[in-house]
Amino acid sequence: MQRPPIAAVALGLVAALASLIPIGYLLLRLTAGYESALVELARARTLELLVNTVCLTVSVSLTALVIGAFQAWLTVRTNLPFAPFFAVLATLPLAIPSYVLALGYLSVFPWFSGFWASWFTLSLATAPYVFLALSAALISSNYAAEEVARSLGKNRWQVAIGVTWPQVRPAAFASMLLVALYTLSEFGAIALLRFDTFTRAIYNAYRGSFDRTSAAALALVLVVLTLIVIYFERRYRGDRWQAPTSRGRKRRIELGGARVISIFGLALLGLAGAGVPIASLIGWSFNQVSFDLLRLGELVASSLLVALAAGIIIGVFALAISIWNLRFSSRVSSAVDLTAWAAHALPAVVVALALVFFGANLVPAIYQTIWLLLLAYLILFLPNALGLVGTPIAQVPRSIEEVARSQGLSKNAALRKVVLPIAAPGILAGVALAALTVLKELPATLLLRPNDLDTLATELWQATEVLAYSQAAPYALALIIIAGVPALVLNAQARKLISEVS
Amino acid sequence: MRLRGALVLLSAASLVLTGCTPQTDSLLVYSGRSEALIGPLVERFEQQTGIEIEVRYAGSAELAAQLLEEGANSPADVFLAQDAGALGAAAKAGLLETMPDELYSLVPAKYSAADKSWVGVSGRARVLVYDPSQVSDRPKSIFDLEDASWQGRIGIAPTNASFQAFVTAMRILHGDARTLQWLEAMKSGAVIYEKNGAILEAVEAGQLAAGLINHYYWYARAKEVGTSQMSSRLSQFEGADAGNLVNVAGVGILESSDEAERFVEFLLGSEGQSYFAEETREYPLVGGISPADKLTPLADFPSPSIDLSDLDTLAETLELIRQAGLI
Amino acid sequence: MPLLEIKDVSMNFGATQVLSGITLELESKQLLAVLGSSGAGKSTLMRLIAGFDAVASGSIVLDGVLLSDSTTTVAPEKRSIGIVPQDSALFPHLNVRQNIGFGLSRLAKDVKEQRVSELLQLIRMEEFAGRMPEELSGGQVQRVALARALAPKPKLILLDEPFSALDAELRQQLREEVRQVLRAEGATAVMVTHDQEEALSLADRVAVLREGRIIQVGSPSEIYNSPADVGIATFLGESVLVDGKVAGGKILTDLGSLSALNNVVEGASGVVAIRSENFYLQPNPSGDSEVVGRVFFGHDALVEVQTPKLRIRARSNGPFAPEVGMKVTVWVRGAVNFYPAS
Repeated sequence: MQRPPIAAVALGLVAALASLIPIGYLLLRLTAGYESALVELARARTLELLVNTVCLTVSVSLTALVIGAFQAWLTVRTNLPFAPFFAVLATLPLAIPSYVLALGYLSVFPWFSGFWASWFTLSLATAPYVFLALSAALISSNYAAEEVARSLGKNRWQVAIGVTWPQVRPAAFASMLLVALYTLSEFGAIALLRFDTFTRAIYNAYRGSFDRTSAAALALVLVVLTLIVIYFERRYRGDRWQAPTSRGRKRRIELGGARVISIFGLALLGLAGAGVPIASLIGWSFNQVSFDLLRLGELVASSLLVALAAGIIIGVFALAISIWNLRFSSRVSSAVDLTAWAAHALPAVVVALALVFFGANLVPAIYQTIWLLLLAYLILFLPNALGLVGTPIAQVPRSIEEVARSQGLSKNAALRKVVLPIAAPGILAGVALAALTVLKELPATLLLRPNDLDTLATELWQATEVLAYSQAAPYALALIIIAGVPALVLNAQARKLISEVS
Repeated sequence: MRLRGALVLLSAASLVLTGCTPQTDSLLVYSGRSEALIGPLVERFEQQTGIEIEVRYAGSAELAAQLLEEGANSPADVFLAQDAGALGAAAKAGLLETMPDELYSLVPAKYSAADKSWVGVSGRARVLVYDPSQVSDRPKSIFDLEDASWQGRIGIAPTNASFQAFVTAMRILHGDARTLQWLEAMKSGAVIYEKNGAILEAVEAGQLAAGLINHYYWYARAKEVGTSQMSSRLSQFEGADAGNLVNVAGVGILESSDEAERFVEFLLGSEGQSYFAEETREYPLVGGISPADKLTPLADFPSPSIDLSDLDTLAETLELIRQAGLI
Repeated sequence: MPLLEIKDVSMNFGATQVLSGITLELESKQLLAVLGSSGAGKSTLMRLIAGFDAVASGSIVLDGVLLSDSTTTVAPEKRSIGIVPQDSALFPHLNVRQNIGFGLSRLAKDVKEQRVSELLQLIRMEEFAGRMPEELSGGQVQRVALARALAPKPKLILLDEPFSALDAELRQQLREEVRQVLRAEGATAVMVTHDQEEALSLADRVAVLREGRIIQVGSPSEIYNSPADVGIATFLGESVLVDGKVAGGKILTDLGSLSALNNVVEGASGVVAIRSENFYLQPNPSGDSEVVGRVFFGHDALVEVQTPKLRIRARSNGPFAPEVGMKVTVWVRGAVNFYPAS
């Protein structure tokens, strides 16, 4: 195996070390007082919370899969009218922070709460991840093989399960991993909907008793859960098959009478995932008496800059790790990849506090500056970008690189000139997703931002804390509109991903 | 090349954003109270004294956690918190300096820390907010809420610091066993909310018959939508009921300096105190300044002698609440 | 009774008429080649027979069962028609054995295993039974695809340009193998191709498809020797077109008076198609034609000859092909095809 480019290794190691900061912090806290930690863990209530969390995570993951598959199948494989419109609609919930989604529903249905409300909200919020992954996978799957399967006597369902599913399975599992970890770490929406999960226990430990040791113990359990989920995902994902490129026109399946019900279903999902929250926000905005346009402009500018900077940084790191792990893989690179994921289920507040400790005590020069905040974003959202960036890089056939090398290009030049351009849609998608998630981020931003930096998300939070919903609404809407841009970019790039390679 | 382009963009962005290194010459205040509220007050102070202030806004509990993590290396000078628990946490970690006597003595001792590590700035009373169309017979005692007729009609926010302080008061007045009984009754009969604000919303919407909140939430909402639009009403329990506890928002000094003391002095001065009275209808704690009208005078409230910031007591209270299964 | 009967089938994509008036018959155990250049509509016809598209009019009947007509289309999985697509489309997540056995899930386990072994033997890939598709070569992939389609003993097999992805030598080898396999199985097959050599060498019957219509159907030698029109004549094999006029039962051309196989209508003028192998070049120092060019293929050669009025290309035996500069007399052997101008 050849040696990987130095830059890739350096960046990969930096990212791995960064991801270890929160885990190191937790272990530090734990050793300070593990007795109280054990007491905390042994509590019956903790077990109850764990069960709640696991149930929610499993149900949301499965539901997001069903929704995403439904949307992807209809928009990519059938002759559904207005398919591009429905594809955009399916991506839209990504632009809406989950707590805004919950808020949108709460203001219309005050009784909306508990397990089912949380399941409903989070499934809608995370389905776009699955939708995007499955769209790309379906576009690239082998259509001719499906027709052969039918000629061999299998009906449509059997073909879907026996032939199509094995090919899209890796994409499905990878996106479900994101969904599961998101649900594990989610707090804002679930708190509003008054459902008790593990994350809630962590927040309570911090806020109620300021007991950082028990909080650390609980957070470490989340890390363990993450590793378990990742283990299962890797085990059952299935291999990526080098699907032969199918020539000929990609036929769309005739829906016929099923068209009406399909449109109805998709429209309903769109309404639920985006229509209701946006409508209620618009409704709230009308209560607003005065409105500071200048302030809004300032916030939009700072939010965008921060998100863009973070997106690019995360994109660069994701690229480095992907190239290292997929092209020059070794034990070290696999460990780096795993480390980047290990911290992903931690609630943002834990990562933020770890960095507060790290920043204030070890590197005060960057404490409360933009750099520490960007580091937090890197730790939090690197995994989001890894999947998107990795997919096209994994699929570029080695033969293409070999041809480039035979034409006289050095290893690095071959990467730059051949692999990167092909992987460009994936990279762009990764940057877009990272930027999008940063735009919506709240707890870490609140704790780590420079004192005079405000974003749309923090401003939104300020307003909701004092119940000024009509004041909050315009900022929330602005956030959704701004976030809509990377969401659309993400959608476009995800679809382009495979057509570039095949 | 892509990498180069990315770096260029990054440098451009950082040029814009690195105006943001923390300033060391101005006073750094961590405020658990919102910018909308504190901002104008800070501006007035800056204008009057010429002292530059930089404020970091976040939740009181988050800021406390942040201070704890920062430890001795914290850049903060002053900590302004919404509730006593957060101040207590900072005090327990040894981060707060003893308040100078002339400032400490401005406020009645029961509203400040016993060890003089922090001082109260404004008071908030626990009240019952109720929907007149659903509640004809207002409860006289907090223990009335245990009755079956309140099943599913009363709202509480057990993770809220004010609620927890009130439970501490109940413990002191009535003992742990009775308190546990009441908490268990709440577990089976009350609707749980995350925030006081949400309880108010629910009562306003007719969803909930009544709830236990802090008084100023009602006034904040009335300010937002207009008093005439409010459908709910406030009520207090009779006599020296635990349910009528007065909580405080307070301030502590982390890094002693002339500027820091002057800021605290400003908050406790007539201008600062009147500001709180006007803006949020909270109770000024410094003698001689009257609260906004229509509020029960502070002296009429029962106030069990508890150190609101005693964390060990708080930890016991939390244990009890947990035992009841509320958090 | 023919096994496959296609009657007057037509099909359109939107406004364009892709196929019209297609009528074909195929007897059991025979191989029909549908020959046509790209865009002629071959793949569309395949999809109609397989049941993936519906016919606009006409009918398709297999073994007495109506499969498609303007009102009904039987689902592909119920037709008992196997397909071997252009790029083989093996299931990437299954190995060779599993691919072949894919359509046999309704059989008892031992019956299924036996059938798969039978086929593995037939395509001579027993050692590769456990391999994954990505490990196989182009030729192997096609053989497995064929075995997979044959496994459930379908009534009809459709092959869509099965050899187009392979190199020349492999193609040759595979063609023969495929023919053998189909015969061994007693399969009835329809193959679409644009390669005339393929069509002529493999098929029992050939149908020429052009712009959505069947121009001619017949045995390979019929099609080759008596192409129905100039188009087919020039499409198959190398031909020279010479103007001519019918006089006295013969065609008068610049190459002399020739006897025609067809269309001899007194006084008609038109075009004569002469295949390059129909020329005989007689070395003759006083001949009126001269060899001006030669392309040597080893076993034969294409010789360019300048006659008094025309330049022609004649196919000649390799070792005995005339050299450039030689003088020859040009003879036309056998009867030629005459196509009157319309």
